[in-house]
Amino acid sequence: MGLLTILKKMREKERELRLLVLGLDNAGKTTLLKRLNGEDVGGTSPTLGFNIKTLEHRGFQLHVWDVGGQSSLRSYWRNYFESTDGLVWVVDSSDHERLRLCARELRALLREERLAGASLLVFANKQDLPGALPAADIRQALELDSIRSHRWRLQGCSAFTGRDLLPGLDWLLDDIGARLCPID
Amino acid sequence: METSDGESLGVATSTTSDEFDAVVGYLEDIIMDDDFQLIQRNFLEKHYQEFDDSEENKLIYTDIFNEYISLVEKYIEEKLLDRIRGFDMVAFTVSLQQHKDEVPGDIFDLLLTFTDFLAFKEMFLEYRAEKEGRSLDLSSALVVTKLNH
Repeated sequence: MGLLTILKKMREKERELRLLVLGLDNAGKTTLLKRLNGEDVGGTSPTLGFNIKTLEHRGFQLHVWDVGGQSSLRSYWRNYFESTDGLVWVVDSSDHERLRLCARELRALLREERLAGASLLVFANKQDLPGALPAADIRQALELDSIRSHRWRLQGCSAFTGRDLLPGLDWLLDDIGARLCPID
Repeated sequence: METSDGESLGVATSTTSDEFDAVVGYLEDIIMDDDFQLIQRNFLEKHYQEFDDSEENKLIYTDIFNEYISLVEKYIEEKLLDRIRGFDMVAFTVSLQQHKDEVPGDIFDLLLTFTDFLAFKEMFLEYRAEKEGRSLDLSSALVVTKLNH
């Protein structure tokens, strides 16, 4: 680790967190980010690079990174793992065909050493769509109950309407907070 | 007096407080030096055309950012080595963590700006705007023709 990286770690404030939002393409990651930031979510187009937003919530400063999910981009995800406090995995609950792929990609992430300390929030997104699988089915398809390596939570939501995003985010902050400053 | 609080960590640091202060002083000189400005300028010149003023970031920005950080780190280390014989960066970073609370804020704030991605992107956008002879705010309202083209 070089001088600047060490300095950065030294100066990181306790109430400053880094969240990494990943998932297959078209899962709704950027829509989620925009919705949380209070922006217009219409006309969101596929992300070919990455987006960063800094949000304030409950006295935390959240640096949220959203990286494009197309298959050609997934090998770049690793460049964004460092210092991640919370991993947000976004699932398109209406994309039945790619659920197995979705489960596989999540498994691969959970094996990454640099994500080992991160709390995992799974958003079963697009619950507003008629064909969406309920959160319980997503839980089964992703075999979440067999995860031993990370503390996790599943939350059904709609990034498009904004429904149930906050309970998920609040759990994530509680879980990270309990880990970082146990006295709180 | 000489009992170093680093011993409990089992780290062989010989950095005393005076040496530590000296290194911090040099750091400031190094960053303010014209040489360093030149290095930065060359780096901007090499990569600025990759940067666009759009909200979404290209993946290549991350590679350029990482290259920048290691360039700055390497430069600082080399210059410290020029000034202090046998300077050991690893030992210094260890004592840095031990002297956490005595580190003067301004110089480290300055160093920290090198690790801020959004500040890095902004620096490139400003450089590009300057190169292309426009100010950022007017860019959407004007038709700009590049001269060096």
